[in-house]
Amino acid sequence: MKKLLSTLVSLACAVTLAACGSGSSSGSSDAVTYGFLDETLGTESYAIGFRIGDDELAETVTAAVKALVKNGTYQEIAEKYPDIKDYLSLKAEDISDDEIAEQGSGDPNFTFKHGFDLDYPPYSYLQDDGSVGGFDVELAQAVCEYLGWGYEAVPFNWDFKDAELNAGSCDCIWSGFTKEGREDMYTWGITYSSNTQMIMVSSNSGIKTLDDLAGKTVGVQISTSAAEMLEGDRADLAATFGDLKIYETYTVAYNDLKAGAIDAVAIDVTAGSYLIANDQ
Amino acid sequence: MGKESNLSETVFQMDNIRKSFGENNVLKDISVSVNKGEVVSIIGPSGSGKSTLLRCATFLETIDAGEIRYRDITAVTTTDGKAVYRSSADLQKAQRRFGLVFQQFNLFPHFSVLKNVMDAPVSVKKQSKEAAQAKAMELLRKMGLEDKADAYPGQLSGGQQQRVAIARALAMEPEILFFDEPTSALDPELTGEVLKVIRLLAEEKMTMVIVTHEMPFARMVSNRVVFMDGGVIVEEGDPEDVFGNPQQERTKQFLRNYQQ
Amino acid sequence: MSFSTMLSTMIPGMFRTCAIFFLTLLFALPLGLVVMLLRKSRFPVISGITKVFIAIMRGTPLMLQLLVWYFSPYYLFRLSISGYRFTAILLGFSLNYAAYFAEIYRAGIEAIPVGQYEAAQVLGYSKFQTFFKIILPQVIKTILPAITNEVITLVKDTSLAFSLAYSEVFSIAKQISSSQTSFTPFLIAGVFYFVANYLVAYAMERLEQAFKYYD
Repeated sequence: MKKLLSTLVSLACAVTLAACGSGSSSGSSDAVTYGFLDETLGTESYAIGFRIGDDELAETVTAAVKALVKNGTYQEIAEKYPDIKDYLSLKAEDISDDEIAEQGSGDPNFTFKHGFDLDYPPYSYLQDDGSVGGFDVELAQAVCEYLGWGYEAVPFNWDFKDAELNAGSCDCIWSGFTKEGREDMYTWGITYSSNTQMIMVSSNSGIKTLDDLAGKTVGVQISTSAAEMLEGDRADLAATFGDLKIYETYTVAYNDLKAGAIDAVAIDVTAGSYLIANDQ
Repeated sequence: MGKESNLSETVFQMDNIRKSFGENNVLKDISVSVNKGEVVSIIGPSGSGKSTLLRCATFLETIDAGEIRYRDITAVTTTDGKAVYRSSADLQKAQRRFGLVFQQFNLFPHFSVLKNVMDAPVSVKKQSKEAAQAKAMELLRKMGLEDKADAYPGQLSGGQQQRVAIARALAMEPEILFFDEPTSALDPELTGEVLKVIRLLAEEKMTMVIVTHEMPFARMVSNRVVFMDGGVIVEEGDPEDVFGNPQQERTKQFLRNYQQ
Repeated sequence: MSFSTMLSTMIPGMFRTCAIFFLTLLFALPLGLVVMLLRKSRFPVISGITKVFIAIMRGTPLMLQLLVWYFSPYYLFRLSISGYRFTAILLGFSLNYAAYFAEIYRAGIEAIPVGQYEAAQVLGYSKFQTFFKIILPQVIKTILPAITNEVITLVKDTSLAFSLAYSEVFSIAKQISSSQTSFTPFLIAGVFYFVANYLVAYAMERLEQAFKYYD
């Protein structure tokens, strides 16, 4: 027992040290900041993906989102997420009254199963208090509340999103979900946000343009739009890189960037801004 | 007169036993019977089939042809030249009639000495724990091991382990006890204590069949000696005759080799 | 997010990890015995099928098996899998570990000298008594170190449940890590796994001690 206690204590020390270590390193490197290149990789739009054939559900949710734009709930939720506010594309003045769903018009016995990645801030992620949240989660919850549906959160592993949707464990994929390139694979609901894929670099890297990336090491998170772009439309650009490193999460990629292990990170501007803003 | 009739009562009989392992005929038409109170020693060179004979008698090996009887219970008969074993209920009944002491003791290492001796009477014969324990302690005392009751087999010498194994077999109160080279796995200085116990049992008129290499012991303790070679019984009879005046050339040669 | 919020967010995940761990052991330890008996069956069809089962369970990644168990009811039978996540995880873990345990049991049983069976037979023990009274206790003693290894692997393998997005401690650590851009949750998870394995090793050592009463 004594042995166990001493082991625990030493581990606790290790954790504390590690925490302090990360704090002090960012403190001493005040001069270095992180930002994006002016040239972008491309833009994309975020929409809600439903199973092929679920047109009625897609239309109902779309009409409800429009109602929330019209009554200002959409903008209210957006206020909480300054990193993505500018990219939310829906405007009240563009929506006519006959497009919107009636409040409480949903089947009260229906529970809407919202499928999303819990790893994708600020659209869907664990909040500071440990609860499930994010712009998409709040908007989906607001839709259910507006229609009178029950809401069920179905966080899933992003790699298996299609299997989850097809097998019916969720009714939609709604988690910063890019429509471009997937137009025929889903029945699409409303496009509610846009995003831009950019290159994040440190201020002292000397990289100013996409051409400067020649021979450099660039990191990207697996299965993201930025990754798909670099493997697809922008493969020509990726071919000039010294190396394209695929990461499990952007957190690791970002830390590698800070540590100097890689030169740049290809990332959505919203997710990138979130990383920079939340780096204490 | 009563003693005489007891002695003539056949406790165990095997007739015309044949057994082969593949091409190798190990037992070629062997017949042995043992009367109550008799001590029979089986001797012979390695590979003569004497251990196989014992394993067939105790159902550890199945015979190809022949007949095995334990007093009134027939365990195996032969029809059309093939051995037919009786129902498992009959075999179980026959099993109760005999005990077997192994060359390698085969004690249960996770049971204490006491439990090794008393567990089968309780678990198999459904004796009460108290009765089985009393009987087990009595047997251990007889084996000179009452102070080892709580020890585990791994803590005992080979000679002690073999005496526990004898007690374990006796606890089931068999009519006949088989020994398969009971001292072969023992250091020479430990064989004496085991042989002493067997001699004690012989004096108590325990019916026994002993496969052994201990010739002087066999001569001293047996009522009858069976000499086996090449899967057949070459010669059998009174120990004084077989050892002192063997009739067959092969017996003479075996005993000569043994004395050198 | 403060350290204490991080910890309290992860605690339910620790309980879920423990649930996977204990329930897997509860099902896999006896199931392994069944698999081992089928493997040793006299009927070649049964032992053959079991052999293939064990080969698949040991020869493919557990993560893949979890996906198959979770998604196959839909893809094979068009059944809804809503609410089936945890059951699929337990199914996957239990069958996988049962296969490993079965092979450990088999090795343990084959290490028991044939003389033990013969002694039991001659004394009249039934097959059932022979197995449970004579053989199994000796087998347990010999296989305990191998079982300990498997159990420790299981503690770490529970993190594979993240592939089915079950919020055990590792999934939550990953989620907090991306929302907080911090590695601290992984450190907490690491300490958790370490302590859990320390306790497992301690418990198994006590168990091994308990079987040391004989050699």
